Amino acid sequence: MMLSDEPYRWAEVISNRRDYIEDQIRAGSPVVGVGYEDGVLLVTLGRGQQKLFEIYDRIALAAIGHSTDIEKMRQGALDMAHTIGFGYSEDDVTLRQIVYFGLGPAVKAGFDDIVRSPFLARVLLAEIDGHEGAQIFYTVDYDGAFFRSDGFAVVGGIPEADQVMMRVLDGCNTQTLSLTEALNVALKAWAMGRWVGLMENIPEKEELDRLAADIKAEDVLKRELQNLDVEAVVLQRSCVGKPKYRPLTSDEIAPALSVYQTD
Amino acid sequence: MMNSGLDFVDLLRQTGYRFPTNSMAVSHPSTGQALPFHPTEGTTILAMRYRDGVLVAGDRRATAGNMVLYDRADKVINLDAYSVMAISGSPAIAFEIARILEHSFQYYRRRQLQEMSLSAKLRRLSMLIKDNLPMAMQGIGAVIPIFATFDRAEGCGKIYFYDALGAQFESTDFTTTGSGSPSIRGTMYYLNRWGGQRFADLDRDAAVGLSLRLLDTASEYDSATGRYEKAADIFPSVKTITASGLEEIKTEQLRQLYGQYVNGEEDVAS
Repeated sequence: MMLSDEPYRWAEVISNRRDYIEDQIRAGSPVVGVGYEDGVLLVTLGRGQQKLFEIYDRIALAAIGHSTDIEKMRQGALDMAHTIGFGYSEDDVTLRQIVYFGLGPAVKAGFDDIVRSPFLARVLLAEIDGHEGAQIFYTVDYDGAFFRSDGFAVVGGIPEADQVMMRVLDGCNTQTLSLTEALNVALKAWAMGRWVGLMENIPEKEELDRLAADIKAEDVLKRELQNLDVEAVVLQRSCVGKPKYRPLTSDEIAPALSVYQTD
Repeated sequence: MMNSGLDFVDLLRQTGYRFPTNSMAVSHPSTGQALPFHPTEGTTILAMRYRDGVLVAGDRRATAGNMVLYDRADKVINLDAYSVMAISGSPAIAFEIARILEHSFQYYRRRQLQEMSLSAKLRRLSMLIKDNLPMAMQGIGAVIPIFATFDRAEGCGKIYFYDALGAQFESTDFTTTGSGSPSIRGTMYYLNRWGGQRFADLDRDAAVGLSLRLLDTASEYDSATGRYEKAADIFPSVKTITASGLEEIKTEQLRQLYGQYVNGEEDVAS
């Protein structure tokens, strides 16, 4: 008997698939994107393996999840962007089309194909000065659902982590933040996402909010920075030339970290 | 949506792109004889190693037969932050090659997470020129570029030139190609050897001034090479590549240096 003949079993399979994926990626290192006065900043912490990538002149990608699945999505986005950029023009490459026609459908197809392994990844893409605005973010979930946001965005391992992280960023004026201010707030958001990701059991929303209020992001960062390094890149409007992507140097990151490295 | 290969040209082929080949031959449909056709061509370009790196300059004229087609052609094309391709020959194919290369270098850097090596960049250009052989053989699409870059590993500027088959040669001091180049090749050799100061010791202003003089000399003897267009105020294009990257010499600076070196006065009237 086919699974599709049995609606209940279909729903069960999909539900199991969600649990499986979230279980696989929830302990990963979240990614935070936040606008600042000269573009957008992407931040994460890791053990030296690159998690933030250049896609095109004004587009960057970051992700949480299985590195090979992230790599597949990254390459798909790269191929699409460069084919359009060559055949049409650099200005015709937009994050919207990469997400709508490229990543979204590909990830959805992977998620629906229940005899194959799904994409174990959640992706965050950023674009500066595109057709949709100055600081645009898209997140593509492991089931292919995508969401647009202006100014800032996050991907953690599970939706609860996203909510807690977004609360840190709410109210940021991303047009006026300096680079160091943006780094500071992004690191705090990351810390809260990390805290949720490492919880044994995720409580109900009200309980999670109550617990989050007692957590100091600084303490989480102090602990995590003992084992992990900060990785940060910008899409920087003032970069000379067409490509605006630039990894931050350790000298640029250092001012935001000094408070956490007292000993 | 996945590309199994690593190379941008492979990706283009997968998406149906075809590089110009002899299928573009311009011949009579029944007799197969070549039709009279004057391709657009560009003219004098030169490159020299000077004190800070490498300088590349080109006139701005494009011609078709004995007709001047355009006086604002930019034949020194940026490929990335440290390399340019300067073209003589057919601009249509040359611009296509430059566009493919620019995307290839970017695609490689983004995909491989490292800069394409200098030797690989040279190889990619060589392959594209070789692919263009059928067009070159028909005499309508030959591209003979100069590739100039700053080798950050060795800390010096480098100049390469090619023949129509894609053979690549490195020049130690200078090179020039295009229809006006015979008029100045000997001059460049003479100046570099006995001119009192080798090109490699010139500062930037002197190198720019010299390149303007040389292009003016080429235009004196080659009708296909343009010179400073007073009516439209168009100067040759001159670019430098140094440790800090590619820089285009601005019109105001060219005006001042043109006055100083070509007209022998402090400032050229604008």
